[in-house]
Amino acid sequence: MMNMGSTPFEITVNIIKTVLVFLMMVQLVPILVWVERRGSAFIQNRFGPNRIGPLGLMQLLADAVKFLTKEDFVPDKGNKYLFYAAPVFALIPAAIAYMAIPMSTPLIIGDSKFLIQGFEINVGIVFILGISSLAAYTILMAGWGSGSKFSLMGAMRASAQIISYELALGLSIVGVIMTYGTFNLTDIIQAQQGHLSFSFFSHQIESAFLPNWGIFYQPLGAIIFLAATFAESNRLPFDLAEGEAELVAGFHTEYGGFKMLMFFIGEYGHMMIASGLMATFFFGGYGIPYVTTKEVYEFFLSSTGVETTAHVLNTLVHFLSYNIKFIFFLWFFIHVRWTLPRFRYDQLMDLGWKTMLPWALANTIVTAIIIFASAQFSF
Amino acid sequence: MVDAFLFWFLAIVTVLAGLSVVLMTNPIYSALSLVMTMVGVAALFVTLEAYFLAGVQLIVYAGAVMVLFVMVLMLFDLKHELQAFTRGKITGGVKIASVGIIAGLVVGAITLGTKALELSKAGAETSKPVVDSTKALAENLFLKNVFGFEALGVVLLVIAVGTVALSRTKGGTHARD
Repeated sequence: MMNMGSTPFEITVNIIKTVLVFLMMVQLVPILVWVERRGSAFIQNRFGPNRIGPLGLMQLLADAVKFLTKEDFVPDKGNKYLFYAAPVFALIPAAIAYMAIPMSTPLIIGDSKFLIQGFEINVGIVFILGISSLAAYTILMAGWGSGSKFSLMGAMRASAQIISYELALGLSIVGVIMTYGTFNLTDIIQAQQGHLSFSFFSHQIESAFLPNWGIFYQPLGAIIFLAATFAESNRLPFDLAEGEAELVAGFHTEYGGFKMLMFFIGEYGHMMIASGLMATFFFGGYGIPYVTTKEVYEFFLSSTGVETTAHVLNTLVHFLSYNIKFIFFLWFFIHVRWTLPRFRYDQLMDLGWKTMLPWALANTIVTAIIIFASAQFSF
Repeated sequence: MVDAFLFWFLAIVTVLAGLSVVLMTNPIYSALSLVMTMVGVAALFVTLEAYFLAGVQLIVYAGAVMVLFVMVLMLFDLKHELQAFTRGKITGGVKIASVGIIAGLVVGAITLGTKALELSKAGAETSKPVVDSTKALAENLFLKNVFGFEALGVVLLVIAVGTVALSRTKGGTHARD
């Protein structure tokens, strides 16, 4: 079943991959925190953390030590089990969902084929949406388990926001699914290779300078998806869960130390899923613009002459390509946080239900009509 | 071996979560256990290679419906509800009645299940595994049973409109007067 491991070798490889992807996610968080703090300082004309180590990079280690050695406490009126369970559950959906995103071409060594993703699942999009929708429970559990009104109100706001924007998020992807006719993320990436080319009224149009990316087929879907992922990961301009003047820190008001850090990792995990999906759906995933994976492989094969080396180099180059896009979107997430002001709560709900949802629906219907018409009248 | 391990693990987790829905005294724990049951059922769908159904089960039931349940439950003052839920003659009667219904369900499921097992044994040799189950599901919904599917959509819309109308007239949170 689903290549999960019919032999001990496969099972071992899959377990190692799971641990590796999880560690990659967790290790990226301190670097992102550093980028966020230094970047915000740069934007606001401050210094930021610059004392410890070169460029303040060792601040991450110092923070980790601080988080680990802080006192571990439970609020008196809180619910102990939910209070402890919430941060743990914050990590799980983000980590599992991220594993379904393909990060490079499969690595082929001899007879073995190693996928550079946690696991391949044929309905990748549905799986990722389903798993990451479980994140609302963490917030609710934290908010209620803390036994504080600030926490509860923050949790209500955050989870209401998450389930409101989930609709627009899901609908914005439907256009992509219909355009490529598949749920499989690898197939979607494979369909986005080379130059932009499509047939329009029986004219084959090929662009010389645009890559064949999904954003040129689904521009509105891309914009709605981007905005909805900001809301999903509870970041500015949608960070209504927090508010120093009204709600203190929202659902994690009562948390401190390592438990707080786990919420942090969960939030950055959602950012990573959003960036990875954004790259996959609209920017060609691991594909290098203008060339197909096959052309890259043949180039390496002709220049090295060894099949295994060519496969390894092919995988490495595409992994790099994926990561450039991935890190660009992470940086974009961080940059937006320090650029835009936040919404008011009624504006947020109006935007979600009255603007983004109808537009996403319209996008779906127009895409469906165009696909149907092109199939019927063959233009 | 892996399949058997996964099945038994998921089955035990799902059944335990399902039991704790009824046995927990705190409604919030019950609701969270129900979420766990939904997730367990979704995972069981995955072991049956019904990936799309598993994903939809997660998105719709675990991700949307139960979130609303949990949200509403958390807004209640549960100390009063807890007592009303655990004591009282009416709730006792309801409990006994529900035990009877569940017993009937279990007996029915076992008798029907043995029949279904025999049927599936007979049909296992002829039926081929469906490669693209998402496509098969879509064809079933939008071609074969399109009328029932659309009618269900209309029923759901009626429910939504009715809920809004009721909450507005009876002085809900968004009441005008």
